[in-house]
Amino acid sequence: MALRHVLYVVFLWLVAVAGLPAHAETPDAALAKLIDEARAAAAVPGACEQPGHDRLVRIFCDGKIRVGVREYYPLFGTREGQVRSGYDVDVARALAKHLGVETVFTRVNAASRIPLLADDKIDLTIATMGHNTQRDGQVRFIRPHYYRSETIIVGPKGLTIRDWPDIASRTICVTIGNGSNAQIVSHNARLMLFDEAGVLPDKLRDETCVLAAQDDSFFDYYFTEPGFAQAYDKKFGFAQLPWGMAVALTGSDRLARALDLTSQIFHRDGVFLDVAARNRIGLGFLESQRALWNRPDCNTDTGNADPACVLPALSAALQPTPFAAQVTAFETWLEKNTGIALQLPMFKTVPAWQLFKAGIVNSLILVAGALVATLLFAMVLGALQSSRSLLLRWPARALALLLQSSPVVLTLVMSAAVALALFPYSSAVAIGAAIVALGLMNGANAGQAIAEAMQTLRTERGGPPAPTVELFGRAVSRSATQIVSFLVNAAKGTPIASFIGAPELLSALTDITSFASGRITTYSMLLVFYVVVVIVVVWLCDRLRVWLERRQMVAA
Amino acid sequence: MSRISSDFVPQLLAGMVVNFQIAAIALLIGLAVGGLLALAKLSGGVGGAIATALIGLMRAAPTFVVMFFLLNIIPSDATLLGVPVAPSGIMTVALSLVPYAAAYVADNGSEALRQLRDGSPLGALLFLPNVTRAFFVLVMSSSAGAAIGVPEGIAVILREAELMPTLGDKMVLFAIGIFCFGITLQAGFALMRVLQRHLGRLALRAR
Repeated sequence: MALRHVLYVVFLWLVAVAGLPAHAETPDAALAKLIDEARAAAAVPGACEQPGHDRLVRIFCDGKIRVGVREYYPLFGTREGQVRSGYDVDVARALAKHLGVETVFTRVNAASRIPLLADDKIDLTIATMGHNTQRDGQVRFIRPHYYRSETIIVGPKGLTIRDWPDIASRTICVTIGNGSNAQIVSHNARLMLFDEAGVLPDKLRDETCVLAAQDDSFFDYYFTEPGFAQAYDKKFGFAQLPWGMAVALTGSDRLARALDLTSQIFHRDGVFLDVAARNRIGLGFLESQRALWNRPDCNTDTGNADPACVLPALSAALQPTPFAAQVTAFETWLEKNTGIALQLPMFKTVPAWQLFKAGIVNSLILVAGALVATLLFAMVLGALQSSRSLLLRWPARALALLLQSSPVVLTLVMSAAVALALFPYSSAVAIGAAIVALGLMNGANAGQAIAEAMQTLRTERGGPPAPTVELFGRAVSRSATQIVSFLVNAAKGTPIASFIGAPELLSALTDITSFASGRITTYSMLLVFYVVVVIVVVWLCDRLRVWLERRQMVAA
Repeated sequence: MSRISSDFVPQLLAGMVVNFQIAAIALLIGLAVGGLLALAKLSGGVGGAIATALIGLMRAAPTFVVMFFLLNIIPSDATLLGVPVAPSGIMTVALSLVPYAAAYVADNGSEALRQLRDGSPLGALLFLPNVTRAFFVLVMSSSAGAAIGVPEGIAVILREAELMPTLGDKMVLFAIGIFCFGITLQAGFALMRVLQRHLGRLALRAR
């Protein structure tokens, strides 16, 4: 009876155990198994001479792993003589040590780090490479990611900038092609473009730039300099980008799996964190990853494929326009038939196309607004300066003198400063401020011309008669040439509105070229657009001048 | 006022020297290009027609757009026969002012040449005050360089203004800027008027 009872319990236990899900393997065990298999494959006599091995096996055949690293990226990959240092370099060494092989370093840069993998010149690249969906088609990224950067805004410590609303209408120095430029633009900041990131700290120091945006990994090095760290600080960060080690897409399946597991273990055990601390780079991301990879649900051999544990690749592709293919076909056709390499980025992606359309519309509004404002201010200031009352005449003259003495950029900035003190920043406010500034500057001069014409008319009439509407009309007609010249000047001056963040065409195209190619075509189109606009304005103003002069002749 | 840094005024004056440099370079190149265009315009024929069209285009080209055009189409590592030719920021601003300067010189130069041909050397000499006026207009226009990081006078003011917390503080700075540039401009125009009066007196004596 007792035996039957025992057997029954054992049976129930066996049934229960069989019904339980299989225990997940630890990443350590999975990695050890993978390495053992690869070592065994490499140890078979003559096997290493056979082609077609996975790179993991070949690494054990050669006893070394070929790693592509950067040589001029401070704190991440640098070389002085034969001495290499930096976070990426130390990560490569730690990985090789874990696999029990030696490292052979090869210099790579942003352009060569992917082709060298595809050409089988290196087995692995650890070279500050951001993981985006576009690159997923070119290389196999190792997950979890070994680091994460973000774009940070850096500026003088005394300047209070906390978040996006604080940068509206400010100028931010950036590098052309930086993926986060589009995001900065969308928050109404102006961009000052530079070809290379290396100049940004100098531009901050010589005060050419008040704010600069670049990867935190780039600024980390400069913040190790006491002088720089004392004068500048990080305002805020955005556009987080996971960095991935990468192997070739083909022939690297087992190597990639081994590195996935190693990366997972390095996060869990704080190896990445220690290496980062030694190299004085930011630790925030690695600290959070350490906690994550110690979680039981992530610390399994399948954790590196679990979306709850690994970060997604950044989606870098901009939505194409419905006619992007035709535009590309046209560019290709033109280059093939004429040799002209035309690039039309403003027609290819939805954000660029929207910026372009808005830029044209805003430019035309700005031109029309500047012309109307110039005429209006000319009439008002002309009438005030012609007044017999000293209280009206002298303030108007003083204002005209003040406006004539102020450089155009300064008047524009003053107008914007007043507008922003009254209203929260918006594109409409910037355009309005620009229209007022351009109207005042040119209207003051045209108004002075009207007042001078009024003076001559009074003199011709042998004394100072009271200003009448009829006399004022004749003064306007007499000063037609001057008025027209300042109207044309106002139209020509409209592109400068981009300086205060008005989203006209120059501003829009600068934004487009900050994240797309085709600068030469873009700026050539811009020049043609404005020259045509000014020519049309000259023609229209000429019609106005003829009408005013005829009116004067009739009146005479 | 106490918030303004102690080295602001020296920096502003140094920046204004840059404005004068830019204006001088633009005017010199403008005189050369505009002079040739004036001669071509007066010669008539196809050359004259081309010169007239070119002057019209130059007159219509907005300085600010030309500046960004030059900045973006000339590579920073451009060379000519092995010599680096990429213009500096100052040179870029100066070159962007050349279309205006050249068109102005061509217009006034052709008028002066016409006066000279008509036997009025003093009428032709009016070209001098007109060029003086253009120079001071160029000084004021060179403030556009602030947009591309050229350390001219307005850039110095705007840099300082970024650190000012209130609109009132900023306005004080702007007033200093207007005073400095205004004095320069008005002095220039006064010089031009003196020159015009002097030439007028010479004309009367010649009669």
